[in-house]
Amino acid sequence: MAEEVPATASFTPYVHSQTLTSHIRAVSSVKFSSDGRLLASASADKTIRTYTINIENDPIAEPVREFTGHENGISDVAFSSDARFIVSASDDKTLKLWDVETGSLIKTLIGHTNYAFCVNFNPQSNMIVSGSFDETVRIWDVTTGKCLKVLPAHSDPVTAVDFNRDGSLIVSSSYDGLCRIWDSGTGHCVKTLIDDENPPVSFVRFSPNGKFILVGTLDNTLRLWNIASAKFLKTYTGHVNAQYCISSAFSVTNGKRIVSGSEDNCVYMWELNSRKLLQKLEGHTETVMNVACHPTENLIASGSLDKSVRIWTQKKE
Amino acid sequence: MNAPIIDPLQGDFPEVIEEYLEHGVIKCVAFNHRGSLLAAGCADGGCVIWDFETRGIAKEIRDNDCSAAITSVSWSKYGHRLLVSAADKSLTLWDVSTGEKIARTILQQTPLQARLNPGLSSPSLCLACPLSSAPMIVDFDIDCTTLLPVAVPEMPDVLAPPQRSKCPESNPPFSPAAACFNKCGDLVYIGNSKGEILIVDYKSVRVLALVPVSGAAPVKNIVFSRNGQYLLTNSHDRTIRIYENLLPAKNVLRSLEDLGKNIDGLDGVEKMKTVGSKCLTLFREFQDSVTKMHWKAPCFSGDGEWVVGGSACKGEHKIYIWDRAGHLVKILEGPKEALIDLAWHPVHPIIVSVSLAGLVYIWAKDYTENWSAFAPDFKELEENEEYVEREDEFDLLPETEKVKVLDVNEDEEVDIETVEKDAFSDSDMSVEELRYLPAEPIPDTNDQLDNLVESIKLIEGQISASPASEEAGQNGHHASSPQGEEMGETRGKRKRKPSEKAMELQAEKAKPLKGSGRTVRAKGRAGVDQETDDSINGDDDDDDAYY
Repeated sequence: MAEEVPATASFTPYVHSQTLTSHIRAVSSVKFSSDGRLLASASADKTIRTYTINIENDPIAEPVREFTGHENGISDVAFSSDARFIVSASDDKTLKLWDVETGSLIKTLIGHTNYAFCVNFNPQSNMIVSGSFDETVRIWDVTTGKCLKVLPAHSDPVTAVDFNRDGSLIVSSSYDGLCRIWDSGTGHCVKTLIDDENPPVSFVRFSPNGKFILVGTLDNTLRLWNIASAKFLKTYTGHVNAQYCISSAFSVTNGKRIVSGSEDNCVYMWELNSRKLLQKLEGHTETVMNVACHPTENLIASGSLDKSVRIWTQKKE
Repeated sequence: MNAPIIDPLQGDFPEVIEEYLEHGVIKCVAFNHRGSLLAAGCADGGCVIWDFETRGIAKEIRDNDCSAAITSVSWSKYGHRLLVSAADKSLTLWDVSTGEKIARTILQQTPLQARLNPGLSSPSLCLACPLSSAPMIVDFDIDCTTLLPVAVPEMPDVLAPPQRSKCPESNPPFSPAAACFNKCGDLVYIGNSKGEILIVDYKSVRVLALVPVSGAAPVKNIVFSRNGQYLLTNSHDRTIRIYENLLPAKNVLRSLEDLGKNIDGLDGVEKMKTVGSKCLTLFREFQDSVTKMHWKAPCFSGDGEWVVGGSACKGEHKIYIWDRAGHLVKILEGPKEALIDLAWHPVHPIIVSVSLAGLVYIWAKDYTENWSAFAPDFKELEENEEYVEREDEFDLLPETEKVKVLDVNEDEEVDIETVEKDAFSDSDMSVEELRYLPAEPIPDTNDQLDNLVESIKLIEGQISASPASEEAGQNGHHASSPQGEEMGETRGKRKRKPSEKAMELQAEKAKPLKGSGRTVRAKGRAGVDQETDDSINGDDDDDDAYY
């Protein structure tokens, strides 16, 4: 089912392994936990679902729990580092903190004045960062649920927020075309990354070592920027991204790759350094909104507007 | 890792009080190795550990046996253990992550200061300095206390009588002394009441070297800098002295032995002094020549560049900051409460000071907005500059000239995985550090949630939201959205319209109403004639009144 673009001889293509159809509306976000045992998917149907991941099993992913409580569709979900909690950002302007084991709602974080769009835990998992359509980025304390800081981040909806690997920096991106880097301790802006043209930025995340950021813009381009020099080093094209906030990910389990969704219903995979398109995974029937890479196994999960989550693995020789 | 892109904030010093932390009456504070956790001892015998990043309480340690005030707290090197000394003569060793007691011992006298051995990863060995006797080494494992010598014995190579039992036969003379471990925990540096620094090997209980402090006044505090290169003494003659440590970081004992062997023809005290002169040299002296005040709790900054001392005058909360060259750079003045403890954050330019009232004040840099961080092509000017246009600035150029040369070599290898070694990790990474305590979210209770949701949505409507959300509120009047939201938004709009007088009238109307303060005020502002005292939770009548 996967179309292969001939590349290096050592490249083993990914194949479709499973389709999960638990959601009744579009899937907005998929994430793996950091220990790789769980997968979470959030949807416009106001629920979050978790699945256990076992690479030895067939099927690999088994649905385990459903989290209900939001009053409106959910845009993003994130695991804490110990996979005990998940936080979700919803169009009902709140973030909700859930217990993964029991599925119960622990806390509701209130403060945003418009749709909460993106959310992430810091590596220590004592703080949550969230971006919203109200153009601010908020930092929350997990223990008390209090909003610690409100960053006047952008002049348009904030589309993505991420912490770096030691939790000291936050990167935020927005439709205003800017990516800003903030010091998470003080809340002060450290840097703004901007190029000559500033197409709306739909997604941003840190590289595993925190020195680079992967930026997706609504002109069908993905770029890898070096933060210190504020210049972009790599450009990845070939996919379609002009409308939706499509997420992308680093795949480091088997060679360094960039994986992204696309509005032409495929999952794209490029090689990081050579920027060559390695594979287009076909199977979804609508825009692929988000992708996630398993931390240790060669596994990719993708969520789409066609309400399904698909799991792709590498073909065994 | 962030050093290249963050402005040089490190290495600077704080200027203003940022906030304060409160939890009972705090007596002493200590940062862990990285400064992510702050431990504080209270007057009621309990300890509290704050998560310094969120400024929230991470853990509370309460000992049911002990209700006397805590005199000092000390972290182990990797943050797994906490040593607490209290006014009831006890020393307790706690395991930080579980919050359980590991060991406890009672001493002869109240230890004023107790420090865990910084060289071991899970130390059960500590140094305790009581008020009126010699400093002692307490070993929790074998439950034994060893008194350390505070004076050099006259006969050479005679070991100071090891006091291995808890009740020594001959009590050592009353000689308060201050002591600290060196960086790797092999040696103890003791400052005695005769104004001498003794370098002692605590395992063999032998004095290895002696350094006389000029002025010969009793030494009140003795502290090493974090990197072990500088030593600070605070003497009774109101002077803080900085010494440079000449000994190498590793294998200190052997170097000292070698030094001792190489000196011939000298015995006893003289020999010690000669060895001592090779261990420490006086670098600088600090004193306040104007007020000649005593100093309290002096210490180094995390990088050793700054020296900070608190003034010991009652009724005054002053913190003096010197650079290592000896210049006084800043005097921080706090509220009119005496200062009892001081600590400099290991990494950031933050000082934490404890006042007599038991509040912990956090001093940080006064941040001036760095506008060039918001827009990279902004340049900040100190003064107005006359702008001179280029000759061809406003010429109309053909399109081709405007194409930017793409000077990016996209084929270069990019490494997204290797992480640089952390500047603050010491070489031995075999033990995992306890950097933070896992956050336990406090669950919302049900009524708490309802009230919170309603009242805060109202608040959000009132607090001037950004224009986008205002528009969204106006445009998106979804019939299905919850009542609270719409009320919040409409109130947000209405808040801007009424004049001050109208607000006063509304406020007056609000007075006779019961209910939580916030919701009442909100109702008042909307100018609705409230006859019912119903709370806001889902009341249809209220809704109709607004539309």
